[in-house]
Amino acid sequence: MNDRLTSGHKPLDAVLGGGLPANAISLLMGRPGSGKTILAQQYIFRNATPERPSIYFATVSEPLEKIVRFGQSLDFFDRTAIGTSVFYEDLGAKVSRHGLAGVTEQITTAIKERRPGLIVIDSFKALHAFADGHAEFRRFLHELSGRLGAFPVASLWVGEYEDAEIGSVPEFAVADAILDLTTARSGQRDIRFLEVRKLRGSGFQSGLHAYRLTADGMHLFPRLADAPIDKEYPQSDVRASSGIPALDDMLEDGYWPGASTLIAGPSGSGKTLLGLHFIFNGARQGEPGVIATLQENETQLERVAGGFGWSLNEPNIEVMYRSPVDIHIDEWAYELLQAVKRTGARRILIDSVTDIRAAASDATRFREFCYSLMQRFARQGVSIVMTFEIPDLFGAERLSDDAVSPLSDNVVMLSYLKDDGSIKRTISVIKTRASHHDPAIRQFLIGRDGIALG
Amino acid sequence: MEDTGRALYSISAVGNMVGLPVATLRTWEDRYALVVPDRNASGHRLYSRDQVEQLRFIRTRMAQGLSAADAHRLLAEQLGAGLPITTQTSRGRLLILLVEPDPYSAEYQEYFLKTEGFEVKMASDEEAARRSLHEDPPSLAVIELLVSGGSGLSLCRYAKEAGVPVVAVSVLECRDQAIEAGADAFLLKPLDPLKFVSTARDLLGSSSFLHTPPGDSP
Repeated sequence: MNDRLTSGHKPLDAVLGGGLPANAISLLMGRPGSGKTILAQQYIFRNATPERPSIYFATVSEPLEKIVRFGQSLDFFDRTAIGTSVFYEDLGAKVSRHGLAGVTEQITTAIKERRPGLIVIDSFKALHAFADGHAEFRRFLHELSGRLGAFPVASLWVGEYEDAEIGSVPEFAVADAILDLTTARSGQRDIRFLEVRKLRGSGFQSGLHAYRLTADGMHLFPRLADAPIDKEYPQSDVRASSGIPALDDMLEDGYWPGASTLIAGPSGSGKTLLGLHFIFNGARQGEPGVIATLQENETQLERVAGGFGWSLNEPNIEVMYRSPVDIHIDEWAYELLQAVKRTGARRILIDSVTDIRAAASDATRFREFCYSLMQRFARQGVSIVMTFEIPDLFGAERLSDDAVSPLSDNVVMLSYLKDDGSIKRTISVIKTRASHHDPAIRQFLIGRDGIALG
Repeated sequence: MEDTGRALYSISAVGNMVGLPVATLRTWEDRYALVVPDRNASGHRLYSRDQVEQLRFIRTRMAQGLSAADAHRLLAEQLGAGLPITTQTSRGRLLILLVEPDPYSAEYQEYFLKTEGFEVKMASDEEAARRSLHEDPPSLAVIELLVSGGSGLSLCRYAKEAGVPVVAVSVLECRDQAIEAGADAFLLKPLDPLKFVSTARDLLGSSSFLHTPPGDSP
């Protein structure tokens, strides 16, 4: 028998180290609307078989009919499974009439007669109201966990528990796994997160993992947070041209492949254009490139590119446009990783990393996210150029507070210069890792062929 | 009263229970049209407990030398005459001694064995188990190795010396020690009910056959 239960969604199973533990008690906590019941039903249907059915016990929190009625709108809800491999039972009437002893009795009978592989009790927390004091609830808990432990069944106890209850409510001590569904405020919206708070006898991916609720159930985006690896990987000695020969000269013949380059500059200074030079230069040499844009949509970007003799429809060019509105940075990262894998891309333009920073929950998360992403691409030899907007028009005092520039291998700075009554653009190379560079500040013009250094 | 005619077992479960390949069950169903399971909405076969007994009857008769066709013919005659279909012993039901200190595990094991037609006697400690093995030798003993603080292995030896086959069970992965101590099979807890009952049947299969009452022969 498999020792893990699948959610039917691989990223969620991976966060749990392979899935929800079989033959164990798992506790699913979260506020109303966090998707507890959806996730519980997802597990119910994904694991039910006629030989080892799943049973959903509703207590006194939500009427059973309501759970089933709303459950039908979910893609995994299989009407034909009801009565053969999925059973919905009402515990509310039993607990109201016979107290907690009635709950134990009904669950024991169901285990004997149906031999389930999974049991959900929703809401478990609501059962507290039927105990005549803490001692009785603890006795009930001891007996129920004893009965569940004596049979090869996984059980999922669902409840609207608060964070502070983890240390005081006894079921948390009994539970082998604790899954916490939380939300965090970001601007005008709430971002949903799943966190594994406990998983006895197994590794799991710690931290907050963003998720969305869809008709297909929970879609989780595991927190991109790669541990450093010591293993060496092959590196090419052939440099990647920036697409601008004069800039290549300043960089000692372009960027190292797999390098991450930050192009920092104020609005309108030519950051996107510098990135497009890099992408189209690669594409025309047979190196596929992905333009991950959160700024211009494809139509707008096509117009920009067209002004310099490029087209997004050229071979080896893939555009991944995502709106910065309601974005989850990990969801975005997995889409980018997929796009790179699908196209075999060797170059990436991220326009802009400023939008990613705005969508990240905090500076620490942003830093570990950037580190993980850069490391993944570095190991693959895929070069990244990231644009980063700075507010200072005429020479920045500093680049950022969030350490994206220290993480980058190269930093190219664009700026404005007041000169004889007009504003001119300048470019300088601030930093190159494992390479020399020309420290000069050079003026440049934007013409029909793009950027031309003076 | 238990409804033994209710369809509840899948074909794979029945295959395990009676020790026959699923393909054989399908072939017999098509060829002899005697043990025909119900079908659920998805078209899956579901067998009743009565039908499981009928298949065991056929298997037992084949083990005695009958062909599949003759065993089916015999079953049809028994059913037609309204005679009981049984593979059980002359003394009645086979007795299994359940040595299990955990009351919840004991309750499940007793239930699953009884629903399969076995007679069950319980012992929650080593002393009671030894007494039962001596006074009323069972056909099989199921011994939890942690009984009485870990006396299960010595109990396995004692049962073996008394000629009683043993299924050792434990949450500890100690199959080799159990087999070394004389157990015939080892199962890791929590016990999968189907595997548990199948193991008991496997170990009792030959003795059940040997104890077949004279009047029950073809």
